Amino acid sequence: MPMPIPPQLQIPVGATENGTITLDVAAGDHVHKYQKLAQLQMSAQGRTCIPVHAPTSGIVSAIEEAYVADHSQQKQVCIVLTTDGLDTPLPLEPPVDYKQLTCEELVTAIRRAGIVGMGGAGFPAADKIDAAAHQAVDLLIINAAECEPYISADEALIRERAEGVVTGAEILQRASSARRCVIAIESSKPDAIQALEQAIEAQSHISGSCELILVASKYPAGSEKQLIQSVSGIEIPSGQLPAQHGVLVHNVGSSYAVFQALAQGKPCISRITTLSGQALKTPKNFEALIGCSVEFLFDICGIDKSLSHKTVLGGSLMGLQLPSDNAAVGKTTNCLIAAGSAELAPSADIQACIRCGFCADACPVRLLPQQLLAFSKTANNSQLLKHGLMDCIECGACDYVCPSHIPLVSIYKDSKAAIEARQINHERSEVWQQRFQYHQYRIKKEKDRAPTRTKAVPAKKPVAESGEAGVSVSSNGDEQEFFSKEKASREIAAAVARVKARRAGSKTATSEQDKSK
Amino acid sequence: MSSMDTRAPFQHSGKNIAQLMQTLLLALLPGICASLWFFGYGILLNVLIAGFFALAAETAMLRLRGKNIALHLADRSALVCAALFAIGIPPGAPWWLVALGIIFAIVVAKHLYGGLGQNPFNPAMCGYAMLLLAFPLQMTSWHLPNEVVEGVLFVDNLGIPIAGAEQEILSPLSWRGFKQALLLSFPFAASSDFDIKAFTDGLAMATPLIEFKMAGHSALLAARDSGTSLFSRESETAWEVINIGYLCGGLLLLYKRIISWHIPLAIIATVLVVSVLFYAPGSVSIYGTPYLHLFGSATMIGAFFIATDPVSAATTRPGKIVYGIIIGLSIYSIRVWGSYLDSVAFAVLFGNFCAPALDQFCRPRIFGRGLSRAIKLVEASNESTKP
Repeated sequence: MPMPIPPQLQIPVGATENGTITLDVAAGDHVHKYQKLAQLQMSAQGRTCIPVHAPTSGIVSAIEEAYVADHSQQKQVCIVLTTDGLDTPLPLEPPVDYKQLTCEELVTAIRRAGIVGMGGAGFPAADKIDAAAHQAVDLLIINAAECEPYISADEALIRERAEGVVTGAEILQRASSARRCVIAIESSKPDAIQALEQAIEAQSHISGSCELILVASKYPAGSEKQLIQSVSGIEIPSGQLPAQHGVLVHNVGSSYAVFQALAQGKPCISRITTLSGQALKTPKNFEALIGCSVEFLFDICGIDKSLSHKTVLGGSLMGLQLPSDNAAVGKTTNCLIAAGSAELAPSADIQACIRCGFCADACPVRLLPQQLLAFSKTANNSQLLKHGLMDCIECGACDYVCPSHIPLVSIYKDSKAAIEARQINHERSEVWQQRFQYHQYRIKKEKDRAPTRTKAVPAKKPVAESGEAGVSVSSNGDEQEFFSKEKASREIAAAVARVKARRAGSKTATSEQDKSK
Repeated sequence: MSSMDTRAPFQHSGKNIAQLMQTLLLALLPGICASLWFFGYGILLNVLIAGFFALAAETAMLRLRGKNIALHLADRSALVCAALFAIGIPPGAPWWLVALGIIFAIVVAKHLYGGLGQNPFNPAMCGYAMLLLAFPLQMTSWHLPNEVVEGVLFVDNLGIPIAGAEQEILSPLSWRGFKQALLLSFPFAASSDFDIKAFTDGLAMATPLIEFKMAGHSALLAARDSGTSLFSRESETAWEVINIGYLCGGLLLLYKRIISWHIPLAIIATVLVVSVLFYAPGSVSIYGTPYLHLFGSATMIGAFFIATDPVSAATTRPGKIVYGIIIGLSIYSIRVWGSYLDSVAFAVLFGNFCAPALDQFCRPRIFGRGLSRAIKLVEASNESTKP
């Protein structure tokens, strides 16, 4: 599984829109393996930061923005590392026994290792634990129910490194002080199940609180809320987080990364990625260094370059087609498919919906895709919201079974985007309307006051004037329902003062001009 | 649509409408074969005539609407509509009756509403109901080949009955039966001196339903008790065997998951429950027996093939059940208290009227919505299991 070191790595740090990026290195620096290169400080929450470490040794040749093979679909700041092939590591700190650490220390260690949700969401693992810290965590689920076609990275990880996964689960349980820890896996993966059983058995004398639960392998079994329901029976309400109900879900890849960080002292510099597709001669699972290019990985797997292929990130149902193979592997790149010409081909001609309801039977959220389609066509937003469009998890099950080959999920995505855009527009227009009404109001007041002012306004006393004006306005204004009285009077006073000052200024200027004439 | 091609999902189950429709046609075969066996070629001719005019009307409408003819004809929905329509038409009905009905179904009930997937009412039943209202006589007279009704009198060359030759009831599948069925369907083909009126009058026979309607016993059981074959045309098992044929086809559809169990089960259960409620040995002549309601008429084909037409039916699961109950109640009510012999067409159309409202009001609970009680229950049960 270990891969050769590519000549160049393009290590993604994060998109500038998502937060502040602090670079620890500059172009031309020599770095060691495991060395911290940069970190992304999320702007919203002060504590959230994701550090990035060097996957191997080499020289930083550039820092630039580029697309990454993940679902963000936005340019990210990447550190381009020209590797030296020596792979010289920093001396690793001898790992501390994690059993001696407190919860906070564990979380800090997890944060410093730069571990994010490896399943695809990419949410910082430490933050997830933090978010649930102020309430009792009843259940920690390690999500090994990898359910999408093509993806087998988690399964491969478990088959080969089950002990690490189990230890990582135990560390996560300690860090989040969860009462129960469950590893959930699909019943259709006997090898991985066996490996996990052995690992749990082997470690039962140390900890022994980790359980294995098999879930039915029905897509999308690994979707967070669906998994929680099949494991615990708890149905997390729409719009709420599992943490609010004492449940925490971590991906099995994250669990292994936690094991590496705490038990071996290694930060997150690689991940298991599935390489699949008919265009590859030897599809396999690789431990891919973060930052290596998709093209490099395909080359190792013997891609047939004479044939055209289409590159898909993720599985065949929720994946994303990548425009090029130049993108770099990020921490959430779980699967890359080099699909041959006949594979994952666009579906046949789209036909009319016959309302057969296969989609509704397939929907894990119990939506009515056939109805949503009809409402999407007429852009009936109120009905779309009523029928739960925003609850759609975009798993693609409805598309898969549709006998009319209608691209339902695509249509829903567009509808969602349209509704969101509309909401933003609505909010904006409200702000503009308020401004406009305020403007009108101001003009009217100006007009009302115009005769008194034209008589003679001393140029240099606007402040005192405006104070009085403000009081008089607030006492007789009838349009004030739009604003809170106090605020309005204050603002109007200030605005009137500004206008007056300006007018007075211009008046004196014109009078001066008159004089000069 | 090119941008759609680059968006997930990239994989498809491979199912398509044409496959569904084909399976549906296949599932109709047992019932059609049984009808053919008992009633002769009339039913087959009806299906063929309806199929021909359905395809012609579909092609014409697709052309007028500027659609891709090859693509839309390939979905076979017109053929399914034709088959469902034709099996309800009495054998021996003239060709123009069948053609009129199916053209009305395809042109008015289907394409004028926007084609496949847009029709609020079941097209086949629209065509059927239109004929029933406009041509009540033709639609309720079942013409069976002469031999079945009266038997054949063997005559010599001079037309004198051969002495000693017994009257014999021949199979309607014989060549003579075929010729008569053809003449009934295409009266213009008969030679000028052929008295078509006398011919048809002689053949006219009331709907089998009437005979069996008040019978109060199972012809199948009677045939078994008397030792005659179930498929013997002399026993009165025809409708029951045909219904069992459609039931088998319906089970095939369920097995293939082309229809869900909700609508058929709701209809059958409702008809059963209501007919049991009203059943009393003394009043069989008014209310009929539960068995008769299920197997003595068009209940099976209605429940499995007609009410399940997805386009015009309710589409949510709870909605489907209510839809089935409404149709079941209508079937029973129209049969028992109404003036029509059988009622599946009107019952289904009535269900179609209700379907949009059912879809709106009978929706499944969305995952994670409306949960305040459910969560408390789960949490309570978790609490109680904790040590």
